[in-house]
Amino acid sequence: MIPLLMFAALFALVFAGIPVAFSMMIVAVAFGYAVFGDMLFLQLYGPLLHTASNFVLAAIPLFIFMGAVLERSGIAKRLFHALQIWLGGLPGGLALSTIAMCAIFAAASGVVGAVEIVVGLMAIPAMRAAGYRNDLIAGTICAGGSLGTVIPPSVIVVVYASIAQLSIGQLFAASILPGVLMVAFFVGYVLLRSLRRPDDAPVLPTEGRALPTGQKLKITVTALVPPLLLIAMVLGSLLAGAASATEAAAVGAAGTLVLTCMFRELSFSMLRAALGVTLRITAMIMLIVAGGTMFTSIFAVTGGGGLVRDTVEMIGYGNAGLIAFLLLVVFFAGFVLDWVSIVLIFVPIFAPLVRSAGIDPVWFAMLVLVVIQTSYLTPPMAPSIFYLRSIAPKDMTYGHMYRGVLPFVAAQGLVLAALLAVPELATWLPSILVGL
Amino acid sequence: MHFFRTGVAGLSALLGAAGQLTILAMIAAMLYEVVARYAFGAPTLWAFDISYMLNGSIIFLGAAYSLRKEAHVRIDFLSQKAPLRIQQLLNAAVYALLMAPVTGALTWVAASKALKAFQTGEVETVSPWAPLMWPFYAVIALGLLAFCLQFLLEALLYLRGEKIPGQTPDDHHCAPET
Amino acid sequence: EWKMTAAVGEGSFLYQNFMERFAGNVETLTQGRMEIQPFGAGVLVPAFKTYEAVQEGIVEAGHSTPSYLVNQDPTNAIFASFPGGMSPEATLHWIYEGGGEKMLQDFRREEMGLHSLVVGIGTSEIMAHSNVEIKTVEDLKGVKYRTSGAFAAVMKDDFGGVPTVVPGNEIYTLLQRKGVDAIEWSTPGANISEGFHEVAPYMIMPGVHQPSFLWEVFVKQETWDALPADLQALVEAAAKLSTYEGYTRFGDADIKAMADFRQTKVQMVQMEHAESEKLREAGRNWARARAAELSEGGNARMQEVLDSYLAYQSSWAENSVYLVRDAAE
Ligand code: NA
Ligand code: NA
Repeated sequence: MIPLLMFAALFALVFAGIPVAFSMMIVAVAFGYAVFGDMLFLQLYGPLLHTASNFVLAAIPLFIFMGAVLERSGIAKRLFHALQIWLGGLPGGLALSTIAMCAIFAAASGVVGAVEIVVGLMAIPAMRAAGYRNDLIAGTICAGGSLGTVIPPSVIVVVYASIAQLSIGQLFAASILPGVLMVAFFVGYVLLRSLRRPDDAPVLPTEGRALPTGQKLKITVTALVPPLLLIAMVLGSLLAGAASATEAAAVGAAGTLVLTCMFRELSFSMLRAALGVTLRITAMIMLIVAGGTMFTSIFAVTGGGGLVRDTVEMIGYGNAGLIAFLLLVVFFAGFVLDWVSIVLIFVPIFAPLVRSAGIDPVWFAMLVLVVIQTSYLTPPMAPSIFYLRSIAPKDMTYGHMYRGVLPFVAAQGLVLAALLAVPELATWLPSILVGL
Repeated sequence: MHFFRTGVAGLSALLGAAGQLTILAMIAAMLYEVVARYAFGAPTLWAFDISYMLNGSIIFLGAAYSLRKEAHVRIDFLSQKAPLRIQQLLNAAVYALLMAPVTGALTWVAASKALKAFQTGEVETVSPWAPLMWPFYAVIALGLLAFCLQFLLEALLYLRGEKIPGQTPDDHHCAPET
Repeated sequence: EWKMTAAVGEGSFLYQNFMERFAGNVETLTQGRMEIQPFGAGVLVPAFKTYEAVQEGIVEAGHSTPSYLVNQDPTNAIFASFPGGMSPEATLHWIYEGGGEKMLQDFRREEMGLHSLVVGIGTSEIMAHSNVEIKTVEDLKGVKYRTSGAFAAVMKDDFGGVPTVVPGNEIYTLLQRKGVDAIEWSTPGANISEGFHEVAPYMIMPGVHQPSFLWEVFVKQETWDALPADLQALVEAAAKLSTYEGYTRFGDADIKAMADFRQTKVQMVQMEHAESEKLREAGRNWARARAAELSEGGNARMQEVLDSYLAYQSSWAENSVYLVRDAAE
């Protein structure tokens, strides 16, 4: 009973608009006092120290820093231009460029969000000028912005791995195919819709794209090489096993600095801005991690683990029932909670259940990550839509946004179904990158 | 009052600047480790401890700074329907009456741990490098102290109606940056 | 009722075999008069802070290994077993018949105000899963070896090895991709499920770096003294029962695991006897040097414990020839 009250109290605070990290700390303190009395703060210092001393989490500020520098460099602008040259002639070409751009950025950095704004600022005016429908514009930008989590490297994967005691390298390897599949489904939807209803996404006039081949190639090379180099450095060093995730992230962060330096785009003020953002987001994520660790520790003492186990047993249907139940919990939590809170609250409870049921923990992690990705798009708490809102033109309404993201949520559902039907999508790559 | 405002803001900014430098230090330390291990075949004994300690320091050096910059995720689709004044009073109350005492108590614990580690010469438990722990503990304590004071300052700003929950005056990307 | 926090994660072999077993035995033997609620590492208290948490009174009981206190006081290494230490069976005898547990209890009470009960003694670990063949101490030179504690010091100072730190969940990946040359983890029974043999061609034995290991449960001395004498006796019996049951469970799991290892492609490398004896002697010298340092500083305890330990070891070595061995040769 007490564990349920903890959730009730948490939601009351969270919906009253108190920051999530602080809500979790307050609930932990209130309910922890009954158990620990005067010892409470001594005990709660443990989760704080635990978070602060976690080697695995040290990759997070580095991945965030990479994204923050990239976002402020000219790399995005050149990339979008180059993609437009190649993809602009296809049905829905601008939307395809947007998705491709988001995918490349996702593979070169660990966070979503910041990227969405950068891409959105360029893609929205272009698509509107070409006469794209508002809901398609909104959906494309939001869905593209959410790719950062499922395409490695990803900060979510780092946090997940640290909680579930899984190898980051393995999880990154496992998420490559689901990530590619998701991009493919997004592209498929855009193509299909543009072909069936050409008025929704009119083809661009050829002027501006009709460049001599030499110039085309030059633009493409200068635009594509930097991000591809970064991807090769980070994922390459990680998957080739040259470095742990934290080391790979440091290589990526340093590489990003070197690249922006080579393009003469690195300035003192840009570096300061990037460091400022990195510090803010890192502190924000880590304090949720700390708050979540406090919350789950009190949740466990008051008998929360047993409660969840009993519920799972009550549902029955073996492993299929267990997986369905856990994923549904994550999906519905995604409507109202942000990803850090979801991972922090549920993974510590789920991981032992999944392990003892003999379910492949890497496969399960992929299922959870795909479901968490929908939380970026599902209202009312939809970070992707919040970002879009901050840069959207006046006549693009919430209605457009919600209608626009629906098909993309369905595409995510298809990825989930594919993963459920063919677990090898998640387990095959780690198994060939691994093994004598 | 003026002294409190500028003092707390100054402390948060100072720790924030230190936190930003720490990020650069961490990049440098990890790069050194990669080069040492793969180019020279001689991994350092300290890279592991240093990286988690720097990361832990970043969190707490940035805690007050992130609060000042309103970087913490709020789920405000419901609460925004309430009158602004109510939102401000609620935030002021939660920050001053709950979060400030909670972080204050944690500061106390953190400071006594740091002091004890200093007095006993506590070293890292499992590391072959076995560094002294008190500098790391002291950074955590200092960061928590600034965090606690910043909560009081934020409460004051809400109370006086000078700040709106979820909005930062000097930065327009204030949506949850995840 | 005691809340007991562990230094290992929920669901791990150690957790089930030592911690849950002890909690179960206590409940059975006391017929429910006493109940222990176990929590995995990090749930209530970070893994390496269990001793401190019990001293501070955050939880009533803790479950950890003296290994985690070696950097604070090397006396712990003798109890935790160290390179050159006794075989598992000799350790078991020293602990219960040679005064070992008594010395550990005195040590914990006088230095930390804790009452300690030995609840687990383990079998020998695998010395390394390795990308390089290690047959002699020469082969250790320049080897990047994931290990810690006394063996890290001995490797580095006496044999030119390069001890490195790798977080638990990255060991597999880094070993596979040759980020480290060799790693030590645990016993055969525990290692096999980690799959290190899939990624590194050699398995080096015998595990002289950690011939045995020991886990204890501890409560504040006041907590213990407050228990009625009959309950104390029952909890002690439960602890001892847990040690013996856990020991044979480890051994049984190890033998089965070794049989499974033999079915794989992993190449089992037995270090030459004279060579592994060099490692053992270096380990004992490490312990002697630490004890001498402490004695000079006015703390004679480590020397006393080490003397008792080494005397028992010599006696066992000299007099156990009568025992029948089931070794292949
Ligand atoms: Na990514
Ligand atoms: Na959502």
